[in-house]
Amino acid sequence: MLKKLQKKTLVKTQLFGYMLTLLIGVFIIVSTIQLFIDVKPLINEKTDVFNAKTAVISKQVSVFKSIDKQKIYFKPNELEELKAQPFVKNISVFNNANFKIKAFSNQSESIPLFQTDLFFESIPDDYLDVKSEDWQWNQTENFVPIVIPESYLTLYNFGFAESQGLPVLSKNTISQIAFNLKVSGNSNTEVYSSKIVGFSNKINSILVPEAFLSYANTKFGRADTSRISRVLVEFNNPSDENILRYFNDNNYDISKEKLEFSKLSFFFKSGLIFITGIALVIIALSIAFILLSFNLIIQKNKDVIVNLYTIGYTYQSIAKFYQIVISVTTVIAVVFGIAISYYIRSEYIKKFNTFFDFSESNNQIVIIGCVLAIILVSIYNVYIINNIKNTVTKTR
Amino acid sequence: MSEDEVSTSDIYMQPNVVFNSGKNYLIKANSGHGKTSILNFIYGSSTNYEGKINYNSDTEINVISLRKTKLSYVFQDYKLFPSLSVFQNIILKNNLTHHKTQDQIDALINHLNLGHKRDSLVENLSLGQKQRVAIIRALCQPFHFILLDEPFSHLDPTNIKIVSALIQKEAKQQNAGIIMTALDEVFAFNFDTTINL
Repeated sequence: MLKKLQKKTLVKTQLFGYMLTLLIGVFIIVSTIQLFIDVKPLINEKTDVFNAKTAVISKQVSVFKSIDKQKIYFKPNELEELKAQPFVKNISVFNNANFKIKAFSNQSESIPLFQTDLFFESIPDDYLDVKSEDWQWNQTENFVPIVIPESYLTLYNFGFAESQGLPVLSKNTISQIAFNLKVSGNSNTEVYSSKIVGFSNKINSILVPEAFLSYANTKFGRADTSRISRVLVEFNNPSDENILRYFNDNNYDISKEKLEFSKLSFFFKSGLIFITGIALVIIALSIAFILLSFNLIIQKNKDVIVNLYTIGYTYQSIAKFYQIVISVTTVIAVVFGIAISYYIRSEYIKKFNTFFDFSESNNQIVIIGCVLAIILVSIYNVYIINNIKNTVTKTR
Repeated sequence: MSEDEVSTSDIYMQPNVVFNSGKNYLIKANSGHGKTSILNFIYGSSTNYEGKINYNSDTEINVISLRKTKLSYVFQDYKLFPSLSVFQNIILKNNLTHHKTQDQIDALINHLNLGHKRDSLVENLSLGQKQRVAIIRALCQPFHFILLDEPFSHLDPTNIKIVSALIQKEAKQQNAGIIMTALDEVFAFNFDTTINL
């Protein structure tokens, strides 16, 4: 009977309006957070022979620096400062070859005869994602593996080969080609066999295993110490926007692709934060709306509520109906929000799978939705009971 | 309430007044002298007074249990729910106390000539009919005292007779007292004490 009486005090359109707004708010917020969780691995990783979290940094070459070459080298204190940045996990410097290198093909092979001067650099092996058995060298070995920039291959295929009437090469075929390296200096000369074992997008340099370079530098190298013009930086989180700011402020060059990607991820994150903000505003408005509606119901039906208390109903039992109605409405809205979010996620996951090498992250939609529902329901229950209590006890 | 208004009162400004259950009291005064207020003080729905009201020897009382088991009240403004029917209004109270069966309630409704209005909404009733509904509702609980705030103001002599006999019978069964307010002498009950406000 109490239920029947109180049912007449409700305004169904208001409840429905609340449910709809909350549903939209919950759907947006849950979906955005889940989207962020799902896309995070894509933002933080890029496939390359280099570890995802690394980038090569050099100083910007300007007119003045091309005259005074000293300025393109990093000073020890600059390296210290770079290493101290919170977003930098580790830095390592490039080793330069201090000797002459010539590469030439074997005459017997079915490939064109060529001979070219080369240079080598090396970075610590850990930063390369080349299979470890391919990337080894010791003094007993005559074979030296090489990693070249992918752009060299492009340059050859679409520029050089085209103009010289030579065949184009795929990554696979070029990896099959064996050639020789003639290393000389310090009045020593030695010939090694070699192959290209990997390609890099990030480092514009020809890399050899560090063990080989340090051995060769001592055997063939000139005495003068190598200077550091390029640094390999390992980041904690490559999409950290502070990275860009710091390098811009210090006039350091970071590989362009990295830069664009970092920018993109910055915009993406900002977009998500903005949408989350809007969703929070929508939810806040829906809360304000239902609390206002509830107040209106109480004001309009004050007599009924006070009379119920007067004939012996406790304020808890009077509040119970409104608590249940608003809680159930909230839960329904959240459940629908979750359901729609689930559907949307399944759709975008399908898209992701066609575009990216995508592995699904944990689905947090239900957890976030439940937490939200619990918070809302708790707020409402406390608010309703206090409001009813005040209404019946203050009008004595 | 100023001293002038209550100077001749048998209750206000007196050291103490005792109501004993099992006895009938008439509180008599002209309108505006605080008849309803005194009943509200006793019922615990107004605390706007100085002094103390004790129930037996308890000062700390739970108004909710008081209203369900010790004090029944026929309000002057009835405090009925217009959107519910006669029967629903009564059941709403009886659900709290489970004092009467549905048959007993129906019998009471018929007894007070409301049988044809049983399922009508209270908002469509006359004042006299509402008054009778309020009285039936007040009887749907155990009580030590029943407070009657000008309960017969809209009733004809025949109905007054029926209603007062019913209340007296219910009170006797529970060995309860009646505290009634009126503008003038009422001969409905045999009052043990008449108090002038």
